[in-house]
Amino acid sequence: MAPAESNSGGATKEQPPVKAPAKDLKKKDEKKDEDLSEEDLALKQQLELYVERAQDADPGLQKVALESMREEIRTATSSMTSVPKPLKFLRPHYATLQAHYEKMSDSDLKKLLADILSVLALTMSPEGERESLKYRLLGSDGDIGSWGHEYVRNLAGEISQEYSKRQSEEAPIDDLMDLVVQIVAFHMKHNAEPEAVDLLMEVEDLDLLVEHVDSTNFKRTCLYLTSSAKYLPGPDDMLVLDIAHSIYMKFEEYPRALQIALYLDNFQYVSELFQRCEDPLKRQQFCFILARHGVSFELTESIIADDEEREALQNLINNTKLNEGYLTLARDIEVMEPKSPEDIYKAHLIEGRGSGGGTVDSARQNLAATFVNAFVNAGFGQDKLMTVPAEASSGGSSSSWLFKNKEHGKASAAASLGMIMLWDIDSGLAQLDKYFHASDTHVVSGALLGVGIVNCNVTSDCDPALALLAEYVEKEDASIKIGAIMGLGLAHAGSQNEQVRSILMPLLLDGRSSVDVIAFAAIALGLVYVGSCNEDVAQNIVLALMERSEAELGDPLARFLPLGLGLLFLGKQENVEATAEVSKTFNEKIRKHCDMTLLSCAYAGTGNVLKVQHFLGQCAQHLEKGESYQGPAVLGIAMVAMAEELGLEMAIRSLEHLLQYGEQNIRRAVPLALGLLCISNPKVNVMDTLSRLSHDTDSEVAMSAMISLGLIGAGTNNARIAGMLRNLSSYYYKDASLLFCVRIAQGLVHLGKGLLTLSPYHSERFLMSPTALAGLVVMLHACLDMKALILGKYHYVLYFLVLAMQPRMLLTVDENLKPLSVPVRVGQAVDVVGQAGRPKTITGFQTHSTPVLLAAGDRAELATEKYIPLSPILEGFVILKENPDYKEES
Amino acid sequence: MLKVSVKWQKEVFSNMEIDTTQPPYVFKCQLYDLTGVPPERQKIVVKGGLLKDDADWSKVGIKEGQKLMMMGTADEIVKAPEKGPIFAEDMPEEEQVVAVGHSAGLVNLGNTCYMNSTLQCLHSVPELKSALIQYPPPVRSNTVDQSSHSLTVATRELFNELDKNVRPVAPVRFLTALRSKYPQFAQLHNGVYMQQDAEECWTQLLFTLSSALRSSGSGEDADALKKFFGIDLVGRVHCPESGEESMETESVYSLKCHISQEVNHLHEGLKRGLKSELEKSSPSLGRSAVYTKDSRINDLPRYLTVQFVRFFWKRETNQKAKILRKVDYPLSLDVYDLCSDDLCKRLEVPRRGPSNASGDSSVSAPGEGTPPEKEKHLTGIYDLVAVLTHKGRSADSGHYVAWVKQENGKWIQFDDDNPIPQREEDITRLSGGGDWHMAYICMYRARDISI
Repeated sequence: MAPAESNSGGATKEQPPVKAPAKDLKKKDEKKDEDLSEEDLALKQQLELYVERAQDADPGLQKVALESMREEIRTATSSMTSVPKPLKFLRPHYATLQAHYEKMSDSDLKKLLADILSVLALTMSPEGERESLKYRLLGSDGDIGSWGHEYVRNLAGEISQEYSKRQSEEAPIDDLMDLVVQIVAFHMKHNAEPEAVDLLMEVEDLDLLVEHVDSTNFKRTCLYLTSSAKYLPGPDDMLVLDIAHSIYMKFEEYPRALQIALYLDNFQYVSELFQRCEDPLKRQQFCFILARHGVSFELTESIIADDEEREALQNLINNTKLNEGYLTLARDIEVMEPKSPEDIYKAHLIEGRGSGGGTVDSARQNLAATFVNAFVNAGFGQDKLMTVPAEASSGGSSSSWLFKNKEHGKASAAASLGMIMLWDIDSGLAQLDKYFHASDTHVVSGALLGVGIVNCNVTSDCDPALALLAEYVEKEDASIKIGAIMGLGLAHAGSQNEQVRSILMPLLLDGRSSVDVIAFAAIALGLVYVGSCNEDVAQNIVLALMERSEAELGDPLARFLPLGLGLLFLGKQENVEATAEVSKTFNEKIRKHCDMTLLSCAYAGTGNVLKVQHFLGQCAQHLEKGESYQGPAVLGIAMVAMAEELGLEMAIRSLEHLLQYGEQNIRRAVPLALGLLCISNPKVNVMDTLSRLSHDTDSEVAMSAMISLGLIGAGTNNARIAGMLRNLSSYYYKDASLLFCVRIAQGLVHLGKGLLTLSPYHSERFLMSPTALAGLVVMLHACLDMKALILGKYHYVLYFLVLAMQPRMLLTVDENLKPLSVPVRVGQAVDVVGQAGRPKTITGFQTHSTPVLLAAGDRAELATEKYIPLSPILEGFVILKENPDYKEES
Repeated sequence: MLKVSVKWQKEVFSNMEIDTTQPPYVFKCQLYDLTGVPPERQKIVVKGGLLKDDADWSKVGIKEGQKLMMMGTADEIVKAPEKGPIFAEDMPEEEQVVAVGHSAGLVNLGNTCYMNSTLQCLHSVPELKSALIQYPPPVRSNTVDQSSHSLTVATRELFNELDKNVRPVAPVRFLTALRSKYPQFAQLHNGVYMQQDAEECWTQLLFTLSSALRSSGSGEDADALKKFFGIDLVGRVHCPESGEESMETESVYSLKCHISQEVNHLHEGLKRGLKSELEKSSPSLGRSAVYTKDSRINDLPRYLTVQFVRFFWKRETNQKAKILRKVDYPLSLDVYDLCSDDLCKRLEVPRRGPSNASGDSSVSAPGEGTPPEKEKHLTGIYDLVAVLTHKGRSADSGHYVAWVKQENGKWIQFDDDNPIPQREEDITRLSGGGDWHMAYICMYRARDISI
């Protein structure tokens, strides 16, 4: 306060609605009277005169006095940093004027005085009286903005208080709403969209916004709307997004509108979009966005009439370009050369250590190498173990590596071929074909799974996965069955395919099926119907759960049944309640486990703080023997809180507490939860925590910490994590199980040679792909019982990660969808919500030419004016259109 | 007649004609001509289903111009190799040892780390192992008492077991034998076996083995242990008062490295250790006088054992206190200047070695040819092969650990049942000066040269 006072000789710094203690000020005023400059003194006397005159009996004189007073106030309110002088000098007379007002008879003059009193109330009104608003309503309806910005803001605040008061009294609000319209119009004109939105939210009438947005401010308005939606309780958040959607539609900002439609999971909006937008290029861009989100959306004739165009667009939605684009990126970055597991382990950097022999094959380590090879070479179509051309070595080296795996390991090895051929249906199926005829059931099982992996996130109109896998589900052998079931689940995740349902559903209720078959069938159905709330499927899984004996429910794989059920309701919040109620009747052994799993899935990606607290509460309980529900509860914290940055940071801190005070079963789940929170986003503090836990005395904590190190670094090639894992590999070189986990993590860090991400969030972290999250959650639930599943014979559950694998690229294509290299700036994204003007959206950028890799939290913008991107979100495939206004610089 | 297009891998065959009156098998034969894939290996996908050989075209519902997808290759069917690989997990334990690259650890049976570390160091001497294998001789001489005999046998068995196992071995039998031979190791304190001095264990064990093997050996091989570990010293005993001088020879199993204020390096300590003062009655003076003894090495063993005299008896605390001073030791030690003139002469030729000799001055391959062959000559240069360290403040407390160089050149820290790989440069950091493990006994192997 001090500098302002000394400078302006008596002006106190403004404190908007707070009414400064009068006593204090009076003293100051008296004191300062003497040091007022001549000019101020004159003004003060002038105002005092006006006040006197205003109480004069002559209306003419009154009018002149009031108008001059108004003039003085208006000309002075322009300053923002201090209480305007006229207001200050009028303070002592507020009560006089108020009294005078009461005595006045109704007239224009009275209204004029009300206006002045309303302004004076800005600083004088006692707390909670809302006198400014009161006089405003009594006064004339003149231009609200003429009294200055601060006055409007104060008024808006008082309106929201008044509104809630009247709401509770059920009093009419029409007069308030008139004022609201004025204020909103004023704010929207003056770069104060957030204030306008806030006010409208307070008075619950967001629809007003649509009338007031224009082409200059709708982007900022919608940005504010969409980002505030995350912090609103339901159903307000949906309402807000709906408004944003209609604004985007109004201004033909279709890609953004599509984003919101996807967020709302509203396919009606998507269809409308295709119908509204006739531009074929833009439609193609929509298809790319849909494909990235991983939803299956069928274009019908009613949406697009032209057969040829519809087919082309459907192909884009089916993601048929994904493999091509990924390989373009790989060639551009020059990482096509296949890598062997040894290239990843980098044993030469570990001095004096590393296992001594190496002459004897260890089944466990070969299996690890199989996974590492699959993860690292994912999607490249070539590697050094499985796809080595037959002529290179006698008898075909691929089969020789296959048989370097033991029993069920062969299934993972055969399936790894699917991973290497990821997204390339034509050549992938050709490569896998030979394994179908093998005599070894594990090999066949792996080949079936491989078919599923190849078809994951891409769809072919012939649907070869269904054709090939359907008959194998009927086979007697459990491992073949599981391979086919898992393959179907992966290939049709999110498709809600009726045929798949009719194949898988009978398995659930077949009393002869073993627990593992049922478990995988439940998961596969959960994946196919992810987030669909399908009653029929839910009922069948519930029945399967009820029919099984207590001993069977104790099987480590039994956890997949409630999880499959949960996936049906992924992110669907209250819709789960009916099913959750049913789950209360389950065997008490799994009741709570089931409850936690359902809840965590239903609220996944919502950021619902109450649910996070609920889970934390569950973790604080002390376990009775043999209960396992705290693992899913800990994962639940991560699943719910991963929605937005603030909640995420808070969850990381809460998990730190759980580590210190939680019991062992909680400590085992915490690293996995951290892994999910920071997936493919190696935050240094989480990295340190996990590094510490990787040396924990409890080997299961250490194992999950190592797997999570892989998850947070997945596809980043992060040198620090790679170094940590190398050291761990020499530290644990004797313990085959721990070493296996280190190897898996090493493979994950170099996922797709650093071109892939596992993050389910995309499009500037706004959208979450439900199938991707489902894949991650299944894998993490399996990791809750590492020893029985991952280290047992169900290691192929690691392949569920394929659902979340996506290239972290920006690939710009021209109008014929051919790759087009343009310069782009890539830098750390800056949060520009609520900022006026056109703030910089990225910081610390570097200029590259596309295709480029985008790390977590990165954002790209075009560095050339020559092209116009058809999507404002520069991620994945973006179509560029030539800028007609562009002129080559000479 | 219908016309369809068929996609096979990356190729598309358009305008394929289907004769709907013939079974689909005929259509597959058409494709066989084009692709070379035999009909039975063909899978034709029609909208999420497979085309059966005997299906009815009308029921399949093929439309004009439809796209079909054919899968299948003419590739060889994968067959399991006749002889599958053998996995480490399936192998018997002895074979796994080779894969792991070092021998097993020893279980701590209650303050027995002094013994475990001693055993691990001695276990790294292949010559000792092979000597033990020949024990007991077919004809047992009765010069060896029963307890020595059983201790020697127990050692042999234990070494054998260590070589065969990957998992830690529990040296129960050896411990019993040791305690019955040397009851001082069975001392109890508060009902618990006490920690012991590793050096004492080392010396006593070598003494027993030596006597047992000596009795068993025949002819020139009589004293195997002495050949491996024994150091011949020749000392000049001089009395400054009387001017008397005499020569003494003795044979010891280890050199002592005395630690005093001036000693910073092993070499200095060794030099100091070879000089001693003693008081004995002087025949010429007729009373006891102070003699100085100045020893030099007269004959070198294959394994040179160096003991750091870190412990001294502290009367006030009634225990063996420890000197924490840092004394560096090298990875290769040259003792040439500690040798007597006689020995120096013998060493001269081999030391010039590589320049004039046949060239391959390789470090002697262990396990190959014991006793040393005629052509092998000592050079006076020794390489560090094992370090026994102590951590703690007195000999009878703290923790003993053995750091042993394996045959493959890697260093392993044997912390009881837990072998941990270590880097060579970390081995020389065990030189003391803090509370970390510090070298107590070092064992060097002779670098010899064949001429």
